[in-house]
Amino acid sequence: MLNKRTLAVLKRELREKLLSRTFILMTVLIPVFLFGILGIQTYLYSAGSDEKAKIEIISGSQQITGALQKTLSQMKDVKNNKLKIEFSTQTKAQFTQTLNSLKGNILSEKLTGVFYIPDSAVNNKSVEYYSKNPNNNSLFNKLKDPINKALVDIHFTDMKLSEAEINFARSSVDINSFRVSKDQKIKEEGAGNSIVAFLFTFLLYFSLLFLGTMMMRSVVQEKNNRIVEVLLSSVNSSELMTGKILGVGITGLMQMAIWLIPLMVVISSSFFMIPNEYMPDMNFAQVIYFLLNYFVGLITFLGLFASVGAIFDNDQDAQSGVWPITLLIMIPFFIGISMVSNPENQIAKIASMLPFASIIVMPARLVLVEIPTWQMVVSIIVTLGTMIAIFPVAGKIYRVGVLRTGKKPQWSEVIKWISYKY
Amino acid sequence: MYVLEARNLVKTFDGIRAVNDVSFAVPEGSVFGLIGRNGAGKTTTIRMMMNIYLPDSGEVVLQGSKIGHEFRAMVGYLPEERGLYQKMKIIDTLLYFAELKGKTGKQIIKKANEYLERFQLIDRKNSKLEDLSKGNQQKIQFITTILHDPEFIILDEPFSGLDPINIDILREIIMELKQKGKVIIFSTHLMDFAEKMCDHITMIDKGKVILNGSLKDIKAKYEQNNISINYQGDISFIKNNPMIEHFEDFGNSAGIRVKNASQIQELLKLLLEKNITIRKFNANEISLQEIFVELAGSNGVNNFYQEVRHA
Repeated sequence: MLNKRTLAVLKRELREKLLSRTFILMTVLIPVFLFGILGIQTYLYSAGSDEKAKIEIISGSQQITGALQKTLSQMKDVKNNKLKIEFSTQTKAQFTQTLNSLKGNILSEKLTGVFYIPDSAVNNKSVEYYSKNPNNNSLFNKLKDPINKALVDIHFTDMKLSEAEINFARSSVDINSFRVSKDQKIKEEGAGNSIVAFLFTFLLYFSLLFLGTMMMRSVVQEKNNRIVEVLLSSVNSSELMTGKILGVGITGLMQMAIWLIPLMVVISSSFFMIPNEYMPDMNFAQVIYFLLNYFVGLITFLGLFASVGAIFDNDQDAQSGVWPITLLIMIPFFIGISMVSNPENQIAKIASMLPFASIIVMPARLVLVEIPTWQMVVSIIVTLGTMIAIFPVAGKIYRVGVLRTGKKPQWSEVIKWISYKY
Repeated sequence: MYVLEARNLVKTFDGIRAVNDVSFAVPEGSVFGLIGRNGAGKTTTIRMMMNIYLPDSGEVVLQGSKIGHEFRAMVGYLPEERGLYQKMKIIDTLLYFAELKGKTGKQIIKKANEYLERFQLIDRKNSKLEDLSKGNQQKIQFITTILHDPEFIILDEPFSGLDPINIDILREIIMELKQKGKVIIFSTHLMDFAEKMCDHITMIDKGKVILNGSLKDIKAKYEQNNISINYQGDISFIKNNPMIEHFEDFGNSAGIRVKNASQIQELLKLLLEKNITIRKFNANEISLQEIFVELAGSNGVNNFYQEVRHA
């Protein structure tokens, strides 16, 4: 099948795609876009804490107010005036009145919020917060510890405990995560692998969808311009399809390799001072696996997109008819993304061994958790098997479809094509 | 000798027989016409000859053996619905289609330039297809059909959409290719062109062959032996001539039917010998169109004439 004619088609596709403006633009823009997302997230996270805030803390007893004043005045934000806090002591009844009078200020955002810390908080640590934006996590995260510390101090004051014991009670739990792997080495796990898993999933999703659509359009265009009949007088339909798919496939592989260069540089050298926390723990074999898996997956999906392109003779119809294929990419994408927060979820485990989903889910899983050999083998067999299984069908639909014109066919007709003698 | 043969081709689409038991043979060095109305099954037949469609049954035979891949490289094919890559450069387009036929290298580049020269497009060779006028795009398409020097040239409705000047260029080239001994097969619904250009024809209607053979034989078979003349003098003497089958005299004009078409010239000679002044001598040879009318029936005819008028 890989003869001179196929190569001629392949060369033309390569030249057309590699030198196209869209390809060059995408190759440059996607990394920019990805870093953009990460950057914006970080910015938004820190932007929340940069805002100046003014709060009032009203407590049920003089003792609490005193303790809070002592701990909160130590805060960095308070020292550099980012956070202004006013303290007062009121009973519950008084507080209700005060709150009413402060309502205007809260709504106009002159006052970020009001904490009420009743006497009972010393025993149950339950406090109240009133604000226009009552779910201000970045504020809570800052205030939680000092308030906790003050309450703990008061709670234990009469119990004659040593300073060390109180310090222990004051501190909150510090979770350090470790990755347990087969080779019995227990390593501290940073965010690096999560980032890589996200990166892999996103790149697979984007690239399959982007190149698939590109392929579909190219088939529709050839059909629409009637070039296909001229082509078919020189090559047969499977040579044409193979040439086109390999052309776009190689284009995609090169693009992906370009995108992964930064990652490979990062994991292979310590030249970039990546904080340990963000340093992905992975090896070259995983990157190579990713690329091969991507190539097989790309070929599979290009076959599907090409056959959808052959069914329709204009872009609109093709766009609206391609949804079943799009779902085959979207659903695994969401499963893959869900793994970033919980790598061991069962759906992901199963999906990584199902046709089509294995292409997108397995690479992310591989980075996040230790995968038993049998699962890896099943996944690879399923991925390759899917590719081998779809081509007789996709090829037939393509062959029948490209020379069809006129009425938009029904799905039931398309299924009948498979049994046609052509 | 026949070089290319279609044997009992059948093709059904969604229960409709587009081509129903079509057989014909294309002789060596001939211009062969596949004639019929739109929708008669011409394009489907040609696609089966090109191996684009597989026939449901029947086969296409090239010099005694069933056509395969090697046939594709020997054929130049111009489909009815034409198309090229609009964003591709002209010279790249020509070389690409030649490469698909297995022809690359300097020889082809030289030839491409020669053809561009001939069609006065050499100064546009690095332009994109989309920058050419439609007529010029047709010329490029035609060059892609013949650039690889094929033995067979199959043209599906080659004249449709061409202006008179391009039709002339195309006709000239077809004749030139015929001189070189190439086999030219074209389909058309324009009987006029077929009559002027073809040596052999196959006429199809509703997927079936209704007429087949060399144009000369077909004409002889359907020839009408009617003659009408305008004259001055006395022609009553021919009434009793043995070659006359029927004679009707109106004084200044007469209708005559001879027994055999070959006697038409003889009759004219006789009239001149007898010093009859001939103002008009009309031996109406039958046209392909009339033969088609006779064979396809009135229902077909009406549609057919409409198409001819629109074409």
